[in-house]
Amino acid sequence: MSNLKILIADDHDLVRKGLRMLIEEHPGWTVCAEARSGREAVEQATQTSPDIVVIDVSMPDLNGLEATRLLRKQCPKAEVLVITHHDSDEMAAEVLSAGARGYILKSDSDQELAHAVDALSRHRPYFTARVTEMFLANRARGTANQAESIRKRLTAREVEILQLLAEGKTAKEVAAALGIATKTSDTHRTNIMRKLDLHSIAELVRYAIRNKIVEP
Amino acid sequence: MVSAPHLRVLLSDDHPIVRRGVRNILESTPEYEICGEAGDGDQTLQLAFRLHPDVIITDISMRPMNGLEVTQRLHTALPDAKVLILTMHDSVEMLRAAAAAGASGYLLKSDAEELLVSALHSLGEGHRFVSPSFDAKLVNQLFD
Repeated sequence: MSNLKILIADDHDLVRKGLRMLIEEHPGWTVCAEARSGREAVEQATQTSPDIVVIDVSMPDLNGLEATRLLRKQCPKAEVLVITHHDSDEMAAEVLSAGARGYILKSDSDQELAHAVDALSRHRPYFTARVTEMFLANRARGTANQAESIRKRLTAREVEILQLLAEGKTAKEVAAALGIATKTSDTHRTNIMRKLDLHSIAELVRYAIRNKIVEP
Repeated sequence: MVSAPHLRVLLSDDHPIVRRGVRNILESTPEYEICGEAGDGDQTLQLAFRLHPDVIITDISMRPMNGLEVTQRLHTALPDAKVLILTMHDSVEMLRAAAAAGASGYLLKSDAEELLVSALHSLGEGHRFVSPSFDAKLVNQLFD
């Protein structure tokens, strides 16, 4: 069996530990790196070229969905498996539109994760039966694209900045985190608030929580 | 030297991956044996009544029956079993609720890797254990 390199990204130590244990039980599967945020996941992926990235949705700094979008661009060979405790139609649609080819819930069984990794290693998509049902029901109602609405209104960079601002960073701190000028980050903030018709940082935070860009 | 007492631990969390993580931490400590695993509160109670564990490690957010309700019932029905809440809720209100429900310990998931073994040790000795980020004075008030 050829060697399969897997990157694990989750901000909880216990979950990373559990994932590592599950993965290492399989001959030929190795964990090439661990990351605690979406940004770290992208950095680690560009350095270690994993075959599969197993990534959580709710993470600080850069969430798993935005990280998935960057991963698809920067490491197109890596398949992305999203694991989340968010059990909703919107989330399933978001995960798909971000470019992940696998989506399982943290409450799913251990075997489900192994099946998903196995499928993705053959470049086949993997969704649990429940998620597939949810997605088909969604399509039938013609609402699957609803989740893309934020993406249509904001650029990827703006969503990234929206998350940092909602996490309590100032425009200056955002600038430092992204290596851009404070003035540029100020302009981004103004644009985000104008596009989303928000008038205060409190409103921006509420918006980010409602749209699951950050955790409450 | 007296060897540490052998403790039988029931592990309850709705995420199998998290249960794996806990198992991984306890694997290197033979004095703590995981005698059962449960994925929700109902199952936790059933297993606790059947297995009579010394310690029950439980998450709070579970359905059906959350970890606090489980703790309360265990406290009444199996008063000798100690309950260690293992949660991501870094909240004084949740700590207060856990103490009121009769938990003997409250450990944040972010502390688990470092402190789970110490926490079990404390509970085994009949002491309480609370993640160190909580105010010690408040902890004394809540748990006494």
